[in-house]
Order: sequence, then C-alpha cells, then structure tokens
Amino acid sequence: MSAVVRDERGSLALLTLLLLPALLVVLVGVLELGLVRLVAERARIAADLATLVAINDHDPRELARSGLLRPAADAETVARRYFALNLEAIAAELAASPDVVASTADVVVFADTPVLDARTGRRYDRPTVRLLADVPIRTPAFAVIARPITTISILSASSAR
Amino acid sequence: MRSPQSEAGTATLETTLMIVVLVPILFAILQFGDTFHRWLAQDAATVHAARYAGEVGGDTPEVRQLLGDSLRGAGIDPDRVTVQIEPARVGWREPIRVTVRSDVTVAIPFVLTTTFPLRSSAVARGEVER
Repeated sequence: MSAVVRDERGSLALLTLLLLPALLVVLVGVLELGLVRLVAERARIAADLATLVAINDHDPRELARSGLLRPAADAETVARRYFALNLEAIAAELAASPDVVASTADVVVFADTPVLDARTGRRYDRPTVRLLADVPIRTPAFAVIARPITTISILSASSAR
Repeated sequence: MRSPQSEAGTATLETTLMIVVLVPILFAILQFGDTFHRWLAQDAATVHAARYAGEVGGDTPEVRQLLGDSLRGAGIDPDRVTVQIEPARVGWREPIRVTVRSDVTVAIPFVLTTTFPLRSSAVARGEVER
C-alpha cells in the first residue's frame, strides 16, 4: 500500500505539466475565436452603416416629383465607399485591405420593388441596398490547423422608410 | 515509508502548482471576454453617435449626450473616454467620423496587469442641407 502511495506522489504535478501545452493551446484558441467573433461583428456593423448611408441617399428630384423614395444613382458607390471607410477600424485584423474587401463585395441596389433577391432568397417590399461580402480575417493561432486566414461572410440589407 | 503529514505537504504543493497554472488561464479567458464585450459595446455606441451626428449635422451637445448615455448603459464611464468628432460641422453628403478611445485594464493573477487601448471608429454621412 505504501508503495502505491509513494508512486502516486507528484503525479498530479506531472499531469499538470504535461497538460499545460494543451491548456495553453485551448486558451489561445478561445482568445483567437473571440477575436474572430469580435472582428466579424465589427465588419457586420460596418456593412450595416454602409447600407444605411447608401439607402438614406435617396433621389430628391424623384421624391419631389412623385413622392416616392428611390435610391440615388450613386447608392452602390456610396455603400462601397462607406463600407471601406468603416472597415478601416479593423484593417489590422484583415488579410486584405478595406478597399479590396469593399470593391469585391456584392452590392445591389433594388430600386423597383417588390423584388426577390435571387442571391439571398429574400423579398424586399421597399427600395433596398443589399451588401454581401467575404471578409478575410487574420488568424495566426489557427495556422496550426491550416487556417491562417478565416473568411467570414456578412450580409446587410437596408430598406428605405 | 512517509508520514501522513508529508503526504499532506505534497498534496498542498501540487494544489499550489495547479492553482498557479490554472487560475491565470481562467482569469485570462474571463478578462479577455470582458474586454471583447466592452469593445463591442463601445463600437455600438460609436456607430449610434456617428449616425446621429450625421443627422444633426456635426458635433453637438446632443450627440455627446447620446454617446455618454450609450456608454454608461454599457458600463463604460463616459468621463474616462476620449471622443473625437470630425469635422465638427458637416454638410449634406459629407462624411463625418466619430472616434472613441478608452483604456481597459486586464489583470491576470501571477502573470500580468496591463492596460489595453480600445479604439472605436465609425463614419456616417451628413444629412443636413445647409
């Protein structure tokens, strides 16, 4: 019995030391995942702001003439520009520049409604600016699982009121 | 053969070693989670302030009030943040940027106590025709 007790002495400390690398990997993974969620949320906020700004930029002449809200002719350009401007805050976390992310985003202005968005399957009853973008995020800690860059897709749509 | 007292000492030592390793890991997860949450809350407040600044045409006391209320609601002391609204007066279709900076202290037992700067920024568009 005493031999068994003696054998178990120090085993917990040894186990802790052996598990330490695994615990650190879990810690780094949790923090990296948290950071990805944070950046994804900030990118979504940037997209929301961009589509809101774009849809607010309605055509004043059409409004005066017919009383209808119609997105301005440059609504798509405005959405891309403000998406890029708002992505600048997280530029350091992105694997591509904000301008590249914004220019490759799928931005569609639905002026004539009701309309079915073939890409998302959503129906819009009022003029809408829709932005769909792939945002590549640097994830250096995920390189161990061959994912140094994690790409997330974000969707934002704003309708005129 | 060792005495029970000696065994007890070994267990205490092992527990101490475990605490020194596990407690910092637990605190790191909690502290960084709290920091991320605070950052998101600050971002949301900044976006609301930027949109409102665009609506009212620039840096007004109402915008500062809204930002302060939003930050306070998220548990952030508005007196301890730096706010920048540029330009102070914005015209129709001109961009307006609101930047909020604050510091958050991360304290991990046995490892470190440090301060991280949190920066939030949002750009909206002026909606006031002057």
